[in-house]
Amino acid sequence: MTSDYVISVDGLVRAYGEKVAVDGVSFGVRKGEIFGFLGPNGAGKTTTIKVLTTLIPPTHGKVTVLSYDVTDEPLKVRRRIGVVQQQPSLEMFMTVEQNLDSSGFLWDISKEERKKRIRFLSELFGLGDCLKSKGPELSIGQRRRVQVARELMHDMDILFLDEPTLGLDPQMRRTLLDYVKKCASEGLTVFFTTHIMEEAEYLCDRAAVIDHGKILACDTVEKLRSRFGTGTIIEFTLAEKEVSLKSALMSVKGINAFSEPQEEDGSFKISADDPSGVLPELLHALFTRGLHVTSVNVKESSLEEAFLKLTSEREAKA
Amino acid sequence: MNSILKLLVRDIRGSFLMSPLFLASMLVSPLIYIFVLGFAFGGAIPSVVAGGISMSYILFLAPGIIVSQFLTGGVYAGASIWFDKRFGMFEQILVGPFTKTQYITSKILSVALQGLAMAFLVLLLTSPLLSGLSVSFLGILYIVAAWMFGSLLFGSLSIIISTAVKTDEVLNVVFNIIMPPLLFLSSVFYPLENVPALIRALALANPLTYAADMFRAGMLGLQTSYLSYEVLLLVVESVSMFLLAVKRFKGIKI
Ligand SMILES: Nc1ncnc2c1ncn2[C@@H]1O[C@H](COP(=O)(O)OP(=O)(O)OP(=O)(O)O)[C@@H](O)[C@H]1O
Ligand SMILES: [Mg+2]
Repeated sequence: MTSDYVISVDGLVRAYGEKVAVDGVSFGVRKGEIFGFLGPNGAGKTTTIKVLTTLIPPTHGKVTVLSYDVTDEPLKVRRRIGVVQQQPSLEMFMTVEQNLDSSGFLWDISKEERKKRIRFLSELFGLGDCLKSKGPELSIGQRRRVQVARELMHDMDILFLDEPTLGLDPQMRRTLLDYVKKCASEGLTVFFTTHIMEEAEYLCDRAAVIDHGKILACDTVEKLRSRFGTGTIIEFTLAEKEVSLKSALMSVKGINAFSEPQEEDGSFKISADDPSGVLPELLHALFTRGLHVTSVNVKESSLEEAFLKLTSEREAKA
Repeated sequence: MNSILKLLVRDIRGSFLMSPLFLASMLVSPLIYIFVLGFAFGGAIPSVVAGGISMSYILFLAPGIIVSQFLTGGVYAGASIWFDKRFGMFEQILVGPFTKTQYITSKILSVALQGLAMAFLVLLLTSPLLSGLSVSFLGILYIVAAWMFGSLLFGSLSIIISTAVKTDEVLNVVFNIIMPPLLFLSSVFYPLENVPALIRALALANPLTYAADMFRAGMLGLQTSYLSYEVLLLVVESVSMFLLAVKRFKGIKI
């Protein structure tokens, strides 16, 4: 792989005894990129992160991070990364402030700088009111905030986030994702795992979909969506019941597929590549037949659909 | 700042914050041993003769109890690794800018320093009872060596055990099983000169005996005839134990 990759993984296999958790995975991540690692439970996301962050060695394959081999020079890798692990982690006997301070101290951040960063991060993550609270007094979400904030006490080249929004409320998710975006725009590389596709769509430049230890697709989010998604869907409902539109819609150009209302929602569904071209003609065709449209809804194809399609196709094959 | 030092500060900060009460409780049992056993047996045994020197039982006992602090304290090295595991800090530190060797070295240094502080406090609190201490310059060397290598040995031992067990409950069980024989089959509570041959043999294979004898040599000027062997064995055993701990820990499954 070319050298502009800050993470480069070539044929990574990782087994726990007999169980192969990651099965021949290859990909690269460029500097300043937000790379999403998407997959269902047990897909091998955390295992891959553990190898990338030098916590466990690869069984086979070559993995370099910041051009250091993770097996040969793990310490050099670790000195330049930040890791928010999926499992909770907290200095349980320390207050929030002591947790943040202790992390900065371990990373050799000067006392003054630590104070500054604690002020900034506790404000950002809404921890101002619980700075003096100890671990057991914090809610689960607050602990997660501390865990994320703590990792931002030091500077790094790559930030690894293993489902970082786990347990965070919607505002805090957004705050975190926005902050990560901002850091990435300033040159930080982010490796991010999730199975929440909205997050991946919001945040990632490129993403890989992994399942059963194998990468099913790796591309930009837009490309994944258009390659594996269902295209745009136009949904509409009519005031009139029990009408068949099959013949009416045959005449409209640009419609790929059409389905009559299912019992529950009573809406017609049309899939089309170019909704703005189809919509006027569609409404016209309905209007000329004297039908009354009560609602129209245009849904973009989502990454979630692409994800479900990819991972279920594989399931069907297996 | 040096990585080991930073980890050491973290560890000591953690154990103080965890529970000052717990630390205080570590002082209780040595004080009870010294006061209760010292006076109770002291009444029955007017004087102990060891190495040709006759002394009060309490004076014989106190240095032994202080040394055994390095054993009970050392056990905490392995236990605190399990604390780190339980709260997710173990893996977090191992993805930080540290090596595994630095991490366990900091754990051993931490128990060594805490053991030293405890020993000092016990000594201070019992000093009114301990007339007859005589510490020479060479004596200080014996004391320091007993502390250093004793802590290294028992700290490493507890780390080795902690890597071999699957849960911290099992760790507790193992410690509870091996502590009493280590403690009581040693020269901590009695001189080995007049005990049955089997007990004497077992005690002479116990590194706590070496540390206790070195400590007594330092504090009382009381030397066993085989003291230099004991020094040698303690040094060799503790260094090998540490190397083994490093090796085991590097291969630890995460
Ligand atoms: N320590 C371990 N020992 C044995 N098997 C393991 C271990 N850790 C993970 N596995 C197995 O490896 C596979 C991948 O696990 P991994 O934790 O990487 O999944 P994941 O993609 O992170 O899932 P999730 O979304 O649930 O976090 C799973 O089948 C899991 O059972
Ligand atoms: Mg995971």
